[in-house]
Amino acid sequence: MTADEKDKEKEKSTVAEPPTANATPPGMVSKPGASAEEDSSGAFFSAPLVGFDPSEITGTLIVIEGMDGSGRSTQISLLQEWLESEGFAVQTSGLRRSNLVGRDIDQLLAKNAVTRLTLALMYCTDFFDQLEHRILPALKSGAVVLADRYIFTLIARSVVRGINRDYLSGLYAMALRPHLTFWLNVRPETAFGREFRKAQAISYWEAGRDMSLSHDLYWSFVRYQTMIKREFEAVAKRHNFLELDGEANVSTVNKLLRQRIADQLGIRSTKYTPSSALAHLWR
Amino acid sequence: MDSQDSSPKQPRPEAVKSTLPQPGRPVPNRAYPGALIVVEGTDGSGKSTQLYLLKRWLEIGGYRLHFTEWNSSPLVKSATRRGKQRRLLTPTTFSLLHAADFADRCERQIMPLLQGDYLVLADRYIYTAFARDGARGCPQKWLRNLYRFAPVPDITFYFRAPLDVAVERILSGRPKLKYYEAGMDLGLSYDRPESFRLFQARILDGYDKMVESDNFVVLDGTLPVNKLQKQMRDIVASKIDLKRFAPRALEAE
Repeated sequence: MTADEKDKEKEKSTVAEPPTANATPPGMVSKPGASAEEDSSGAFFSAPLVGFDPSEITGTLIVIEGMDGSGRSTQISLLQEWLESEGFAVQTSGLRRSNLVGRDIDQLLAKNAVTRLTLALMYCTDFFDQLEHRILPALKSGAVVLADRYIFTLIARSVVRGINRDYLSGLYAMALRPHLTFWLNVRPETAFGREFRKAQAISYWEAGRDMSLSHDLYWSFVRYQTMIKREFEAVAKRHNFLELDGEANVSTVNKLLRQRIADQLGIRSTKYTPSSALAHLWR
Repeated sequence: MDSQDSSPKQPRPEAVKSTLPQPGRPVPNRAYPGALIVVEGTDGSGKSTQLYLLKRWLEIGGYRLHFTEWNSSPLVKSATRRGKQRRLLTPTTFSLLHAADFADRCERQIMPLLQGDYLVLADRYIYTAFARDGARGCPQKWLRNLYRFAPVPDITFYFRAPLDVAVERILSGRPKLKYYEAGMDLGLSYDRPESFRLFQARILDGYDKMVESDNFVVLDGTLPVNKLQKQMRDIVASKIDLKRFAPRALEAE
């Protein structure tokens, strides 16, 4: 076959379709049950999940996003206790927690033999397994789901590694749209100190060392996390991020979170003092 | 891939420099010197036998080639196996795990070898996902996007066998069909052979729909093995400049 013929054939048979226009309808779903009936596609980003009826959702999905060291998990522990004291059933989710591939990803990360696209797809599998087996069942039974990170982190991490944004939006088209998405914004310099104190070290992936940004761990961490932060800034408006200053006191941030969530769930009082089990988190 | 830059200001623009296909962009024509031949078809269509014979022919001739099989990446295999054993897979996660498997083989084998001027033979390719995951209800648009990073094959052989023939070949040679293999997760029938048959009919339909749009070379899977192999070899020889993959000594002659 001549080169020309080959070209023509490739043109004809090209697998790629035009990039998916990622529909991101403005405005968040404010009342879970009602909106699902109004517009069944609105519950998902742009395509419904196979074999799932969004009108069954009676719970509330609350996402907390933010870089490593932004205080997400501390806030989630506190919120869970507060919500349970208010009589709400709480389910949590987070990266690499799926039964299907959670541990496989841990192993891939430890071995460091994995390439960026494979890793992105494994995280995507991990996400959908949790969505289908943990998040949606909880939401169907009326629980509040507190998600420690969501698709926004997964997309940002892949985008800074050069994977096309439309491609990623297409992958996560069937993700459920959160009712509330909080973004705990901190400076990478602050996050570095907090992360270092936790383990007296910074991990390979937290510092984005696969990206060869710097041989100096501190600079690698700061540059990598700055890139992620810029990605968040770029999508914050489109996805209605509620930005909070992650550098403020734990109790201050928690109060702001409680106020907004109370509003969403129709809780009258936002009074809360952590139990002795969690008192050490209250700074 | 190591960092040479000591200037702190510029993150390395890896995406632009990379010669690998970029997800979300079609693989540019002649982005690599190698050639890719794939076989597709339902279970029992005879495709694996035929690809094996093609591989033997090329191996014996001393050509530079690599053979890769659907769902075989060592990094992803254990997850897929566990998911199947415990029946944890949904249409979406089934599809994503197979895509992760393919991405791993694509990034670590297929693309580097195509760039290194190899002939790559693939037993099943992205069309398997389009037909099979489509039969499970995944939207075609989503599936096409998922595999956008895959290089387009130089030849895609589609071994077409009538449903009865293909199903009979599988059922007669196998004591028990596996759960996902039989498409039991679709809830088409409680009877495994019956479920398998209904599932395969949907897949066959999915393949047939792609013949035109994806330039399949359709071969009749009911022909005798050696006759079919002759057709396959003739097509390969006419469409691909095999001399380029011959051992150096022969090339010089």
